[in-house]
Amino acid sequence: FSSSEYRISSDGKAAKFQPPPKPVIIDKQKQREERRFLSPEFIPPRGRTDPLKFFLERKDMIQRRKVFNIPEFYVGSILAVTTADPYANEKANRFVGICIQRGGKGLGATFVLRNVIEDQGVEICYELYNPRIQAIEVLKLEKRLDDNLLYLRDALPEYSTFDVNMKPVTHLDYEDIPVNKLQVRMKPKPWSKRWERPKYNIKGIKFELPEKKMKEAEKWRQPWLEFDMLREYDTSKIEEKIWKEVSEELKK
Amino acid sequence: MMPIWTKSGKKHAVTLLKVQDCHVLKYISKEESGGKTSKLLVGGKNASPFSKSESAMEIFKEAGVPRKQKVTTFNVTDDAIIKPGTPLYAAHFRPGQVVDVTAKTIGKGFQGVMKRWGFKGQPASHGQTKTHRRPGAISTNKAAKVYRGKKMPGKMGNIYRTSFGLKVWRINTKHDIIYVNGSVPGHTNCLVKVKDSQLPTYKDCNKNPPFPTYFADGDETLPEDLYDDEIFQFTDPSVTYA
Repeated sequence: FSSSEYRISSDGKAAKFQPPPKPVIIDKQKQREERRFLSPEFIPPRGRTDPLKFFLERKDMIQRRKVFNIPEFYVGSILAVTTADPYANEKANRFVGICIQRGGKGLGATFVLRNVIEDQGVEICYELYNPRIQAIEVLKLEKRLDDNLLYLRDALPEYSTFDVNMKPVTHLDYEDIPVNKLQVRMKPKPWSKRWERPKYNIKGIKFELPEKKMKEAEKWRQPWLEFDMLREYDTSKIEEKIWKEVSEELKK
Repeated sequence: MMPIWTKSGKKHAVTLLKVQDCHVLKYISKEESGGKTSKLLVGGKNASPFSKSESAMEIFKEAGVPRKQKVTTFNVTDDAIIKPGTPLYAAHFRPGQVVDVTAKTIGKGFQGVMKRWGFKGQPASHGQTKTHRRPGAISTNKAAKVYRGKKMPGKMGNIYRTSFGLKVWRINTKHDIIYVNGSVPGHTNCLVKVKDSQLPTYKDCNKNPPFPTYFADGDETLPEDLYDDEIFQFTDPSVTYA
């Protein structure tokens, strides 16, 4: 029994039965598993060192991560770090800042936090695996257009000021990391480095320089570099192996 | 090289040395060698036996051991003699001991006097004609000769040098690795000779070492990692100053 033949349609023909559209189920669990983050200090640099050395270092790093939580963060996220300080009042020192760069591999991995406190720019370089660090909280997890925000030193101070008593911004597990496409305005030249030159490849600055200066900076472009095969370092397979190893160990 | 932290929060840099297939090759008695003490020949890393003459391979055949890439002598007292053919392990050293490390430095080739001996050279401008990195004067007028050993350009590096008084922080018995304080001469993966320190300040440092060496018989089972007392182990919670 189907009622389609009995339906009186406006155009006179028998209206074909259209089934309702299927509901699209967004499986949040799958999305959560798809995004995996391997901290950049786990990836060994290119060189002639014995891989056994990196294996032993990774064991130590995983040991530390089991006892102390090192959250996922990127260059451009705002962090608050509390360190043990023998000369401070409460023996602990809290610093809030934006992560400018992440350097080093293995146990000596570092990250630099920048903030402007009472009109004085302050940058502190912390070691991720230093035992004196009591807590690392991510107040705002986000990425920026560049890997390296050293140009904030020559930008207007408002772009580096962050409230010390900022409340953490919640970030849901399965969502993608937001990319802040902020274009930063700079102080007048001279800068500490010539950020307009193509070797720094900065996309996060709003250059207000005259056209002539921008054209002159293009003279230093080295377009052959991206085709140089000896500079290639494909880390995809290494990352896969290390990700498996690290995630298995951390689950134990 | 790796960082290591102590329980007080201080950071030290540490070099990892791997004990790879070390065997005792030969025992030379005091009279035979003509020295003050008897000697033990020890061989390092395994290598292919096909590129050495038969006479050189005799020592390895007698000890019953594959051909070693490096052979060194250690001056030993008579009570520390070991039978040729016994393997040596990293557990021979214990955390807290002080050690001297000898190796061939990185070869830099033919180098000028500024890099080789640290001379100051000459100014870059103000009329200097073709003289910016030269040694300048090599002797005085009265001497009328150049002394032997005058510092001049030549081949730099690739010679044996020793770093003295390096503390052992940690020993990994599973992979035979010694964590030694500070830096060590030589490039990465080069062959290195590790000895008990001969500095007078560390004469009484080695208390109860495994004597004559650590034999992996199975009598005493060591844990996988041996740490010095002052090291911060990553299983502990973060350091606080209470």
